[in-house]
Amino acid sequence: SAAAGAERPQVVSHVQQALSYTVFDCKWVPRSARLLCLGSAARGTGLIQLYELRGARLQLLREIEKPKPIKCGTFGATSLQQRYLATGDFDGNLNIWNLEAPEIPVYSVKGHKEIINSIDGVGGLGIGEGAPEIVTGSRDGTVKVWDPRQNDTPVANMEPVQGESKRDCWTVAFGNAYNQEERVVCAGYDNGDIKLFDLKTMSLRWETNIKNGVCSVEFDRKDINMNKLVATSLEGKFHVFDMRTQHPTKGFASVSEKAQKSTIWQVRHLPQNRDVFMTSGGSGSLHLWKYEYPAQRSKKDSEGSEMGVAGSLSLLQNVTLSTQPISSLDWSPDKKGLCVCGAFDQTVRVLIVTKLNKI
Amino acid sequence: MPVWLREHRWRQTLTAVFLSLPLRGARATPANIFCSEQYLKVSIPPFLFEAILYAPIDDTNSTAKIGNGNIFFTLYKKEPAMWDSLTLANADKEKLQYLREHAVLKAHEKAKEETEAKKITKQEHKKYALEATMKLEEEERKRIEDLKEKERQKVAKELELWKNQQKYGDKYKSIQKKGELHQEIEPLKERKSEKMNKTRIPNEGTSKTRLKSTEGCHDSCSIFSQNLKEEQLPAPRAAATIKVNFTPRVFPTALRESRVAEEEEWLHKQAEARRIINSDLSELEDLKEEEKNPDWLKDKGNKMFAMGDYLGAVNAYNLAVRLNNKLPLLYLNRAACHLKLRNLHKAIEDSSKALELLTPPVPDNESARVKAHVRRGTAFCQLELYTEGLQDYEAALKIDPRNKNIEKDAEKIRHLIQGTMQSS
Repeated sequence: SAAAGAERPQVVSHVQQALSYTVFDCKWVPRSARLLCLGSAARGTGLIQLYELRGARLQLLREIEKPKPIKCGTFGATSLQQRYLATGDFDGNLNIWNLEAPEIPVYSVKGHKEIINSIDGVGGLGIGEGAPEIVTGSRDGTVKVWDPRQNDTPVANMEPVQGESKRDCWTVAFGNAYNQEERVVCAGYDNGDIKLFDLKTMSLRWETNIKNGVCSVEFDRKDINMNKLVATSLEGKFHVFDMRTQHPTKGFASVSEKAQKSTIWQVRHLPQNRDVFMTSGGSGSLHLWKYEYPAQRSKKDSEGSEMGVAGSLSLLQNVTLSTQPISSLDWSPDKKGLCVCGAFDQTVRVLIVTKLNKI
Repeated sequence: MPVWLREHRWRQTLTAVFLSLPLRGARATPANIFCSEQYLKVSIPPFLFEAILYAPIDDTNSTAKIGNGNIFFTLYKKEPAMWDSLTLANADKEKLQYLREHAVLKAHEKAKEETEAKKITKQEHKKYALEATMKLEEEERKRIEDLKEKERQKVAKELELWKNQQKYGDKYKSIQKKGELHQEIEPLKERKSEKMNKTRIPNEGTSKTRLKSTEGCHDSCSIFSQNLKEEQLPAPRAAATIKVNFTPRVFPTALRESRVAEEEEWLHKQAEARRIINSDLSELEDLKEEEKNPDWLKDKGNKMFAMGDYLGAVNAYNLAVRLNNKLPLLYLNRAACHLKLRNLHKAIEDSSKALELLTPPVPDNESARVKAHVRRGTAFCQLELYTEGLQDYEAALKIDPRNKNIEKDAEKIRHLIQGTMQSS
């Protein structure tokens, strides 16, 4: 049911900061009002900028330059005390930085032969259980899982079969990390493939193809029994999979939505409410969605196997902020509704989404 | 010749002149009255009253009242003075004329001025209306802006509050942490030695080094707490590889639904091209360069046909078709050969194939289509399938109605059909 006009969440633009470089990823520093922008400077070097939100503006605290442009970053595998940043760069290097002493990385490996498109971390920030791990997905067609305690070699490698021509891996995400043993990695590729790898059994658990290159995948929560997975793609579509019931042949039930004509670059779930998520688009717009569960989440098919039932989606709000794609998006884990987004118009914007309590 | 009205009566005060003009039955309207500063005229054809006034009057404010067969003028004098008479006594013709013209001119000017004034007032009214609406809209906009601004400020304040809480919280936490840890160092050291035996981490070496570091630990508390946590973590995963298969895709670009149709077509064309090149590669390798050119082969075929070597021509056309099966003329010419060779079914086949390839039917391929129909028609007739043959001849006539030969042949076939119908 659609929320009444006056009660709908509003997306308020709080601060806008023009940057002198292309920003590829932006992340809140946990437990703070600080955020990071990661990107590529005009002269082909990488940049990490640390900003603090002060009143109605962003104050630049630090600027760190690195030899290669940086594509993505995560705090997912670091402890709350350390808050080390893991980054993937255009050359395939995975680095973990102590932002207080960023000259030498705490961990470094040339993980891939080509650009690392996407990175995720799990087991850090006091969330969930199990060893902190980082997963990277690259243009070289492989997905690798790293343990910061083990140098040089990944603890899991999902690579193409011998002789198979590779596809670009565009996005990776951890999920199902509800105890020390369980963990899955979901990867999306440019040919529309989505693959779910089970790290406990080291096998492929599920795969499907959504007919359009997969730009972004995310579980609604990493640290619970896998509940929902959102996958966004080219051509303005995204799919929400119900991950609680896997049918032997049909896989997971899903509902899909075509929100806009252009690519949906990112999906991010609200940390404080796992049924609310935001998608960012190639047309510079943001859409805020709510997933409604069906009356019964699973049912039996004609042969008696359990199959999932997909729910429905409602659009809570949408706003256009830019003429260029909004390629990165991050919710603050500490303040509900606070989010940052980076767009290809070289601007980073801090937004506040109001009235999320009323959903 | 106008009839002058002269029976007027007048009286005056210092400031005004009152003139009464009987109309002798004529009906007056305001249009009949013309008045300027010093000239007054009432013209109700055929009646005419004209007066050059003694002194100028204020013609804008003066009035004329029409009623009771009478016009009653109230003329306000420009200068208060008593007039000797209503009209100027010694008004000569020239002066009269001049005054008349002057009066008319003046009236015109006045009329113009009035329209100008009207226009100006109209514009001003419009402007006023516009400004009023703009103001209203502006107010509305401002109201919305204010609402938004209030929302923004509220949210910003909450943010500041939260931020300060964070800062305070952080400081508090770090102080607390330091205190706690300093207190706990001693008992924890003991606990650690216990844990050594129970630890899940199999690597003896690393835990030993950790112990060493804890004994020497007075500095960063974070390393200490980190070590503590590490002990509770499982070991790094045993490295393994999962082999992956991808949904096949020929193109290196990303998959987009909207491009799938284009891509399929492109692939199809590529496959076609490859097929031609690859077919019977071994045989074709023996051919000379020129023999691999369908057009050259077609010309060869045509020459052989002209010389009567029908079998040779067919061979040439066959080879050409193997190289390129989309040229209609090859089939057309081969059909002609088959006709000569009395391979009637083959002639029909080839003519049909030629017609198929000659779509769409345009003026450019008219002659080819005519030939195809004629050849097929001929073949049908020779097989005694006269109805089908006639169909083709008629189709040929449709394309080229002026061809006498085709017409003659069509007639012949019709007779033949009628003949057989009659006899059967």
